[in-house]
Amino acid sequence: MRRIKMVLRLLIVSILALILHYALPQHDVVQVVGVSEPRQDFGPVNRWFFAQADSGSATFANRDVKLIRTEKKETFLLGFIPRDSTEIMVYRNEDTGLIWPPYFKFDSENLQTAALSSTNNGEWAVITHYGWRIPFFSIFPNAVSIRTVEGPDVTIIPWFNIGFFIFAAFCFGMVRAMWRQFRERSVDPLLDSAGDHLDVAQAEIAERRSGVRNWLNSWRAKDKRR
Amino acid sequence: MVFVRFLLFGFIGLSIIYVSLWFYSRSVRREKLEDEWDETKPEGMTRETFVEEGMTAYHASLRPKLLLLVYVVPTIVIGAVIFISNAN
Repeated sequence: MRRIKMVLRLLIVSILALILHYALPQHDVVQVVGVSEPRQDFGPVNRWFFAQADSGSATFANRDVKLIRTEKKETFLLGFIPRDSTEIMVYRNEDTGLIWPPYFKFDSENLQTAALSSTNNGEWAVITHYGWRIPFFSIFPNAVSIRTVEGPDVTIIPWFNIGFFIFAAFCFGMVRAMWRQFRERSVDPLLDSAGDHLDVAQAEIAERRSGVRNWLNSWRAKDKRR
Repeated sequence: MVFVRFLLFGFIGLSIIYVSLWFYSRSVRREKLEDEWDETKPEGMTRETFVEEGMTAYHASLRPKLLLLVYVVPTIVIGAVIFISNAN
């Protein structure tokens, strides 16, 4: 039982971690190589990893998806440790609009133009994105914003994520405090009174039984009475 | 249509948070009042009247109204996010 509980807990934590890793913003230092807008025919798997048609437009089964093609500085440990090597990274650039994840991004066309303009002179840029690149399913991370920087050696402090985790810890503490208060003030008194009723009932039964037993005993020989 | 749905679900979610916080805050205050009576035992007041008077004062105070910020703050935050993430 204990082991099952641990496995379940581990499963929940890893699913949560995966969701957060997918949905929280990450920053990449890139050089944009080019942009394009190929048609995507979504399959049963990768359709879940694309957003929807541009905000305000109708949604069809397939559509053109803006892509930003880059060479990106490789990193270790979620971008905390920079490396010298580069790798290829392709981002999609879609409106998230009012759906999940809540980036409220409506300006994908502007972003595409900004990415295009940063290809001039091989400028370095920081792309904020969420999502994963999974070539096997043709899944791309979604670029959220781009800003040009002086060079490839920029220090990026993930302010949003810091704030997010502080807020999440606060919410967790709050929910726990509320649950404890609820249990202490509402559930425990109910259980106590239920327990009291049970005690009283048991005492009554015991008394009645002892009455019957006494009567039975009165028929027994004196030395055999209990 | 998407916007209406967003508003609707946002309102439902925030209402759940608001109602739970309302009950929680009230319960904490009541507990505090009970503890206060147990400690000080003010004369000429039963425990019940002391707590009830305290709760009436609590409901008249600013504190429970501050809980309405549950609706205000996310609206402002989302508005700010929309503005910042789409401004160039």
